[in-house]
Amino acid sequence: MTDTPLISLVDVTKTYHLESGDFTALNHVSLDIKENDFVAIMGPSGSGKSTMMNQLGILDVPSTGELYIDGKNVAKMSNLERTHLRRDTIGYIFQKFYLIPLLSAYENVEYPLILKYKKHDTTGRTSALLDAVGIDKEKAIHRPNQLSGGQQQRVAIARALVNDPKILLCDEPTGNLDRKTGFQIMEILCNLQKDGKTVILVTHDPKVAEYAHRTIRLDDGRIVEET
Amino acid sequence: MIGDIFFQLSVRSVKLNFTRSILASIGIVIGVVAISAMGMLGTNMSLQVEDQLSSSANTIVITADAIRMGPPGSSSSASYISKTQLNKIKSAVGTNGTVIPLYSTTTQFTSGNVQGRGSIYGMNPDDVNEFLTIGNGTNIAGINEALIGLSLSESLGVEVGDRIKVSSASDGPPTNASSSASRATLTIAGIIDDRGTVADSVSTDNGIVVSKEWYTAQYDGKDEYTQVNVIVDDTDMIAEIEDAIDAKINTDEKKPSIRITDASSQLDTISSTLSTLTTFCLAIGGISLIVAAVSIFNVMMMSVNERVQEIGILLSIGTETGEVRRMFLYEAFILGIVGSGIGGLMSVVIGYSVVDAMIGTTEFFFMPSSIIYVPAGMVVGMVVCVISGLYPAWRASNMDPIDALRSD
Repeated sequence: MTDTPLISLVDVTKTYHLESGDFTALNHVSLDIKENDFVAIMGPSGSGKSTMMNQLGILDVPSTGELYIDGKNVAKMSNLERTHLRRDTIGYIFQKFYLIPLLSAYENVEYPLILKYKKHDTTGRTSALLDAVGIDKEKAIHRPNQLSGGQQQRVAIARALVNDPKILLCDEPTGNLDRKTGFQIMEILCNLQKDGKTVILVTHDPKVAEYAHRTIRLDDGRIVEET
Repeated sequence: MIGDIFFQLSVRSVKLNFTRSILASIGIVIGVVAISAMGMLGTNMSLQVEDQLSSSANTIVITADAIRMGPPGSSSSASYISKTQLNKIKSAVGTNGTVIPLYSTTTQFTSGNVQGRGSIYGMNPDDVNEFLTIGNGTNIAGINEALIGLSLSESLGVEVGDRIKVSSASDGPPTNASSSASRATLTIAGIIDDRGTVADSVSTDNGIVVSKEWYTAQYDGKDEYTQVNVIVDDTDMIAEIEDAIDAKINTDEKKPSIRITDASSQLDTISSTLSTLTTFCLAIGGISLIVAAVSIFNVMMMSVNERVQEIGILLSIGTETGEVRRMFLYEAFILGIVGSGIGGLMSVVIGYSVVDAMIGTTEFFFMPSSIIYVPAGMVVGMVVCVISGLYPAWRASNMDPIDALRSD
């Protein structure tokens, strides 16, 4: 581990050009996130949380300013390079799980491995991860619509981890789950952070944010508080 | 490809929307069947004509270049080849071939109560074996003997040794028939094998052959030949001999007195006509493929629009745009494979039936130039499908993953 931030936003502004006029979703934001951090991003609706997540997930690039992920300047990368960086460095966990409906639970977890190595998993990593998040072999052959919300989120976590990414981006990971299941999911994320992952989660729920070591509050596209 | 995760996703997508996919593929089936069957029909027609004409490929046919104006008999130029012209033809041909002068007209034949109508040819019996095949019986020996075509013999129900009556009133020139010989009797000496479509204008299948002496005695017009056939020894010399004949007889370029044709010119004309017909039929088949292409395009666009969020997921977790594009092209390809596969099989069955029904023979059906239309039609069907999937695939791969994820 080095002192160099794993993620660095330098005076990042993101402006959307709408018919009603320009809308600045992130306004001169600077932020460093070190490896193995556990960061919660909070804020009211429209504060810029989702825009921030899209930037951190390399789904979007800043209008101005610079974003470095794992030492690489995202704005200077080609689309294909950004796709590969996203595939190899970032694991996504969404509120709505976003599993691929045509694939089984096992295939959903195996999918990023196939993207990276262009072949099916012969190492047993997919099965091991599913086992680790509590999805047995019988459940693994089911399609997402045959699984409960909690099971789908566990599959999504296994999928996020399969390429051993440094960063886990979690967008309201417990938002669609009951309290008990949400607690179990947060326990898994805490353990992953303890195992060395950098966890960034966006949430409305202060109780969920309590699991994080740092909390960043956004409002009107600016960081207004950091604890 | 089959182990490719994107191919598996495409297969599952097609299975998920099975009815819709099959309906779209039916369009391709119809298109493939249309172009394959039409192509095979045209080719089989050409092959059959070519085969029949090739038997007389070494023959030059010379006829009088008569231009008929007004009522019959008022031709502006001679409607026969004169003896002088025949001698010039013989001189032009020399030792390079055999010159066969022929008289012919159409008339009525009677055998018992059965009547028939057909051609009657008058020629030197020695020339018969040059281009006709007597399948049963012998050549003409006596003045009142005749050879009969197989089809006419069957329709009149006559065999070798039987007698038939021939009307002396001919349907065409020369018309100076003697009224006293209104119903001459001929004895059948032999039966000529069927010739089918021939380029030498001697269609004996539904006709008879008599000696030139009997013919001129019956119909008059001695030394006024209907046509002269030249059977050349070397087909490479056809053009040269034709030029020589043309130079000797058609001295006035503006008003040629004879017309010279051969199998190749006839074949060119027929092939050109058949080719135009085949192209027209293929165009109709092509229209059905265009309709099918629109249907495939529609299904592919529906597939893309229904899977926007899935595309967003794929892109957000690191799928390359080219891989998303490939997934949708696979889907179009699967529709093409299914449609073209079924279409190919049906083309063979339907094409065979159509060729059999319309041409009467499937002798040439499995020849490479005919059967090639099946794989060709299948390839065209698949290409049409993939082309129809290009834009939907491009659209899917160029979606903004953020917008795509937001869609519900």
